[in-house]
Amino acid sequence: MLNIDFALTLATLIFSIGATGVLIRRDPLVMFICIEMMFNAANLALVALADHFGRIEGQVMVFIVIAVAAAEVAVGLAIIIAIFRTEKDVDVDAISALKG
Amino acid sequence: MGLNEILFAACAGLALATALAVVFTKRTQYAALFFVTHLMSLAAIYALLNAPVLAALQVMVYAGAVMVVFVFAIMILDADELEKLMPSQGEGVTVLVSGGLGLLLISAFFGFANRFKLAEALAPAAKAGSAGLAEGNIEALARLLYRGYLPAFELTGILLLVAVVGIMVMAKRKLD
Repeated sequence: MLNIDFALTLATLIFSIGATGVLIRRDPLVMFICIEMMFNAANLALVALADHFGRIEGQVMVFIVIAVAAAEVAVGLAIIIAIFRTEKDVDVDAISALKG
Repeated sequence: MGLNEILFAACAGLALATALAVVFTKRTQYAALFFVTHLMSLAAIYALLNAPVLAALQVMVYAGAVMVVFVFAIMILDADELEKLMPSQGEGVTVLVSGGLGLLLISAFFGFANRFKLAEALAPAAKAGSAGLAEGNIEALARLLYRGYLPAFELTGILLLVAVVGIMVMAKRKLD
């Protein structure tokens, strides 16, 4: 039984670092990695609370989140590569095809 | 402080350090490698938190499969081109905004903890209720996953199928 405050604080910090990365980086792949980091912070909070309450439901949720994240990564990277092939540009500030 | 606490603190420090390295390193490949280390230290933390199955899944699915896809994407996209991308203009503003967001989140967490007496509300469950967390973890997880959470499990399967088909369509056809 580890200290729940410590684990939840760690999850909060990792989530904030991931959010910072999404905001300050312009490299689409690093932004995507930072989004994954935020996913992992949420997973860490779920696992810590599952341990704290001695119930396994949180771990089931993390299992499903990992599967969904794998699908999301595959689709997201396919979109990034498709944009790169048509735009010949990887700068997210320059990609404005979805602007109305 | 027992061995578990020391290991937890070490893994937490490693996770934080590699998370910062991902955000502030210049090269995309290094960011991917730091992220693999980050995922590994999180897997160790999962193992310390009585989730050995999830620790194994984290290593196999995240650090293995997902990161391989990332490294392939780095290979396909021009790495030199990616490295030319410095942080956005007005970086100071975004650092301030995101740092403020993080501080807000942390203070909200502690404020929440104080307001609702989280320490008492989150009183650890009786040890009797925690059967299946540490030992027999995979059996307990499987029993719950294939009974109570079967619809969610099936929907996840459908989602993966749709994702695979969608990627095929996107890879085949050139965008206009």
